Amino acid sequence: MKNYQLGEFEEIVLLTVGILNNEAYSVAIKDEIESRLKRTVSMGALHTALIRLEDKGYLKSFSGESTEDRAGRPRRYFEITALGKKAMLHAKETREQLWKAIPKAVLEYQLRVTN
Amino acid sequence: MSIENLSTVYFEAMSAPPKYPLRFLRWFCREDSLDEIEGDLTEVFLKQSATAPRKAKWNFGWSVIKYFRPEFIKQFKQQPNTYGMYKSYFKISLRQLIKNKTFSVINISVLTLGFSCFLLLSLYLHDELSFDMFHRDANTIYRITQQERQDNGTLRNISSVAPTIGKEVREQFPEVEDMVRLSAFGRVTLGNDPTNRTHERALSADANFFTFFDFPLVEGDAKTALKEPFTIVVSETIKEKYFGAGAALGKQIWSGLRRAGQPVYLTVSGVMKNFPKNSHLQMDILFSEATWHSLYNDYTQYVTTEWVDTEYTTYLKIKPQSNTALLSTRIEALVKNNYPADREFRSSFTLQPLRKIHTNSSQLESAAEQFNVNSIKPFYLYTFAALGFVLLLTACLNYMNLSTAMAIKRTREIGTRKTLGAPKNQMVVQFITDSVLFSLLSLLLSVGLAYLVLPWINVFTNKEISISSLPFEWLVMVVAVILSVGILAALYPAFIATRVSIVDALKREIKIGGSSLSVRKALLVMQFAISVMMIASTLIIYQQLNYLREKDLGFSHENLVVIDVNSRNLRRNFETVKSEFGKPAEVLRVAASTRVPGEWKSFPVATTKSNQNTMGSEMIFVGIDRDFLETYKIKLLAGRTIEDPVADSLKIVVTQLAVEQLGLTDPIGQVVEIPRVRYGERMEELDTPFRVEIIGVVENFYFESLHRKQLPVIFGALNTAIQVIDYYTLQINTSNWNNTLETLKAINHKIDPDTPLEYTFLDARFEEMYLADARRGQIFLVLSIIVVIIASLGLFALVSYSVESRLKEIGVRKVMGASVSSIVALISKEFLVLVIIAGAIGLPIAGYYMQSWLQEFAYHIPFGVLVFAEALLITLVIAFITIGVRTARAAVLNPVNSLRSE
Repeated sequence: MKNYQLGEFEEIVLLTVGILNNEAYSVAIKDEIESRLKRTVSMGALHTALIRLEDKGYLKSFSGESTEDRAGRPRRYFEITALGKKAMLHAKETREQLWKAIPKAVLEYQLRVTN
Repeated sequence: MSIENLSTVYFEAMSAPPKYPLRFLRWFCREDSLDEIEGDLTEVFLKQSATAPRKAKWNFGWSVIKYFRPEFIKQFKQQPNTYGMYKSYFKISLRQLIKNKTFSVINISVLTLGFSCFLLLSLYLHDELSFDMFHRDANTIYRITQQERQDNGTLRNISSVAPTIGKEVREQFPEVEDMVRLSAFGRVTLGNDPTNRTHERALSADANFFTFFDFPLVEGDAKTALKEPFTIVVSETIKEKYFGAGAALGKQIWSGLRRAGQPVYLTVSGVMKNFPKNSHLQMDILFSEATWHSLYNDYTQYVTTEWVDTEYTTYLKIKPQSNTALLSTRIEALVKNNYPADREFRSSFTLQPLRKIHTNSSQLESAAEQFNVNSIKPFYLYTFAALGFVLLLTACLNYMNLSTAMAIKRTREIGTRKTLGAPKNQMVVQFITDSVLFSLLSLLLSVGLAYLVLPWINVFTNKEISISSLPFEWLVMVVAVILSVGILAALYPAFIATRVSIVDALKREIKIGGSSLSVRKALLVMQFAISVMMIASTLIIYQQLNYLREKDLGFSHENLVVIDVNSRNLRRNFETVKSEFGKPAEVLRVAASTRVPGEWKSFPVATTKSNQNTMGSEMIFVGIDRDFLETYKIKLLAGRTIEDPVADSLKIVVTQLAVEQLGLTDPIGQVVEIPRVRYGERMEELDTPFRVEIIGVVENFYFESLHRKQLPVIFGALNTAIQVIDYYTLQINTSNWNNTLETLKAINHKIDPDTPLEYTFLDARFEEMYLADARRGQIFLVLSIIVVIIASLGLFALVSYSVESRLKEIGVRKVMGASVSSIVALISKEFLVLVIIAGAIGLPIAGYYMQSWLQEFAYHIPFGVLVFAEALLITLVIAFITIGVRTARAAVLNPVNSLRSE
C-alpha cells in the first residue's frame, strides 16, 4: 500500500482547504483555522505547509484576480487533488483503525479520569 | 468587509505596510513566492490596521522576520545558466585552437618553452637557495669566520679559525649549545690491495659531528662513530670502492699513515649515506679527532693552546634569539685575551649563518673552496632569476602579439556576439578562456618537458633536482605566476577585440586602430630588445671564455703531465727519480718543482723587501730545478736560471712584475730579503730573514686562473727554507697514452711500492678552472637561442598579419610594375627599424650587465663597441630572414588572385 505522508498541521491545512472549497487562499485558510480551532497560525508556517503539500501533489494552485486590498498582488487559490483526497481518506482510515483497536476499558477509564 | 470598504480604509488611513520590513522582504524573498507572501501580509496588515494600526505594524514586521528562512530566501548569486555559458566559451576556444593549427602550435610551443624555462630556473634557484636546509637545526647553526687585517690594509677573510676558539667558546658562553670542528689535513693513501691503492681526500671531525649535523649513517652509531682513535667513517661510494657490497662496519683498511714506522690500519666505524648534493659540506672520508691525539704526541697540546693558526672550520649551534653580533664581539675579546704576547692581534670574527654559506662565501679564502665546492655568487642567482622572468615575459609578449592578430581575424564572431547583445565582459571571458586553455595546456606540456630535460640538466649542473623537490609553497607560487601571467596576456587582445565597432566587425573591414598596431610593435620591440641583450651577452661571454682559453699565459701547458708527489720516497733523491721518469722515449723532459701552475694547493706567498721597497710586496714563491723553465717554455729575459739546488740555494729568478714591484732598475745581482711567508691561511715569520740574490729575470706569466690578479713570482731553488718538492712535470710526446701511463706506473712502483701514481694533464687542469664559467656560457647560449626563437616567431606572426592586410596594396604595386625585391624591402624596412630601436634599448642594458660580469675576472677582454654591432647585426639578419620568408611569399603571388575579388 502506498505511503501517504501527512503531518498533523498539514492534515489540518488540507482539511481546511476542503472546507473553504473554492475560496481557499492563504489568508482565508489562516482565518478559518484560527476561528475553528482557536489557535494562532503564523503565515510563514502556513506557507511552508502549503508549499510542501503542493510539492507532494496533494494540492494544486492557481492565481486568482489581483485585488487592491493586497496592494495589487494576486491571490493564490488552492484546490485538493485526487491524490490529496486519497491521502486525507487514508489518514482518516488509519485513525479509525487505531481508534477501533483501543480496548474500551482504556477509553472509559481515561474518560472517567478526565471527567 | 467588502473590498470597497477595505480600500477606503487603506486610503483613508494611508496606512501602508511599514517601509523597512517590506523592503527587507522584497530583498530576501525568492521571486516566485514574493507576490503571494507580500499579498498575504499586506492583506492581513490592512485588516488588522483598521482596528489596531500599531499592532498591525508590529505584526507585519514580525511576520516578515518569520519568513526569513531557507525556503523563502532567494539565491543571491545571479547565475543565469552560467555553466552552459562557460561550456560554450570552452568549446569555442577549443574549436579556435583546432581551426588555426599553425597559430596554435606556435603559440603553445612558445608558451611551453617559456614556461619550462621558468619552471626549470625556479627549480634551479630553489635548489641553490635550499642548500644545507635539510639539517634539523639549520637555522641555529653558524660558522665562525675570521677577518684579519693585512700589512697593506686589506682584509683577509677566512672561513676557519684556531682550534682553541671553538672549544673555549663552547665552554664559556652559555648561548652556545653545541660546537663541532672540522679540519682538512689533505689526502691519505688507502687500500688493502698493495697494487691498487689510491689517494683520498679526507677530513677529520670532532666526535659529535653526526649528532650536530643530520647526515644519516647507514652503518654505525651516530653518537659513537667518531669516538675511538684510528677509526674512520666513509661514504657509501668509498665503502663500495674498498669493501664492495655488504657491510663494512668494523672492517680494517691499510692506510699511508705511519706509527712507529709501521702502516696504520684504520677501522671503519660507520658508513654514511652519500651527502646530498645540496650540502656545502662534501666529504667521503672522515677521521676521528682522537686519531691525531694518539698518533702525534704534541697534538693534544696543539689543539688546546693554539690561538693563531686558522685550520679548523668551526660550527656553532646557538640558542634561538641569541644576539650573534654580541657573541662575535665576545669571541673577539676572548681570542684577544689569549693571543700570544709577541704577536699583534688584528682580527675580528663573524658568525656566518649556515643557510648563507653556500651563496655568500665567495669572498672567503681557501677553506671556502675546500668546504664549499659548488659555491655560487649571489650575482648569478639574481641573473638566473631575472632570466626566468625575462623568458616568461617574452613568451607572454609573444602570446599577446599572436592572439591580438588572431582576435582581429575573429571579428565576425565578435560582431555577431555583439549584435546578439553580448556584454563586454562576456567577450573578455571568452578571450580569457582561450588564454587559460592555452596556458593550462602549455603548463602541462612544460611540466612534461621539464621531466624529460631534468636528468640532462642534473648531469650538466651536477645537482640532484627533481620536480618533487620543490616544496608546495614554491610550486603554488610558480604555477600561480605562470597562470596569472598567462591570463594577463589575454587581457590585451580581449580589450582590443571588445573595442571593435559592430558594423566594422561584421563588414569584415578590420580597422584595428593605429594604437593597437603600435602597442603590438612596442611588444615586438621589447622582445627584440631582450633578444639583442641576450645575444650580446652570449657573445661577450664566449669571447671572454675564448680569451681565457687562448690567452698567452706566458708558459706552455700543452703535453705536460704533472705527477703529484705523495711520499717521502718520491721526494728524496729527486735527481734519481727525475732520471727514472726521463728514461722512456716518450718523455722529453722532466722538471721538479714545489708548485705547478693552476690551482692545486695554495701557493706560498713570500713577503719580499728590497732597498727600494722597504714595506715589502707579496710574491708567489716556487722552488724549481734547472729543467723547469725549459719544460714550461718560460722565457728568460736576462741572467740565468737556478742550476744547482745547493749552490744556488740563495739565488732567485724573478718575473718582470716582481722587478717592477721591488722598484729595481738593474735587478741582476741585487739582494732582496724575505722576512715571512704565508702558507694558505698560516703566516710564518722566518727565524732568520731569508736573504737572496736575483740571478735572472723571466717574462711575466699567469700561474693562477685569470679570475685573480697576477701576482709577481719568485723562483728559488728546491729545498729552501720555504718549501719542499711536491711535483714532477713531464713533457711528453706520445701517440699511445695508455702505454706511456703503464710505463710511468711501473717506474713509480719501482721507486715507491706503497704509493700509487697520481697524475694530471695540465691543460685539462686549466680547462677545469673555467668550467663553471663555461657552463654558465652554455646556459646563456641555450637561453638566448630560445629567446631568439620566441621573438622570431612573434615577428613572423606580426609580419604575416601585416602582409595579409596589405595583400591588395601589394597586388596594385605589382600591377604597376614593382619588383618582388622592392616589395620585400618596403615591408621589411618598417620592421627592421623596430629591430634597430630594440637594439638601442637592449644594448646599453647588456653593456651595463656584462661590465659587472667581466669584473669577476682580473683579466678580461676590452669592452668594445664591435661586439654590440655584431649582436645587432645577428639580430637584424635573423629578423630579415624571418620577414623575408613571409614577405617574399606574398610578393610572388599573382596579383590577379588578390585583386579580382573586389
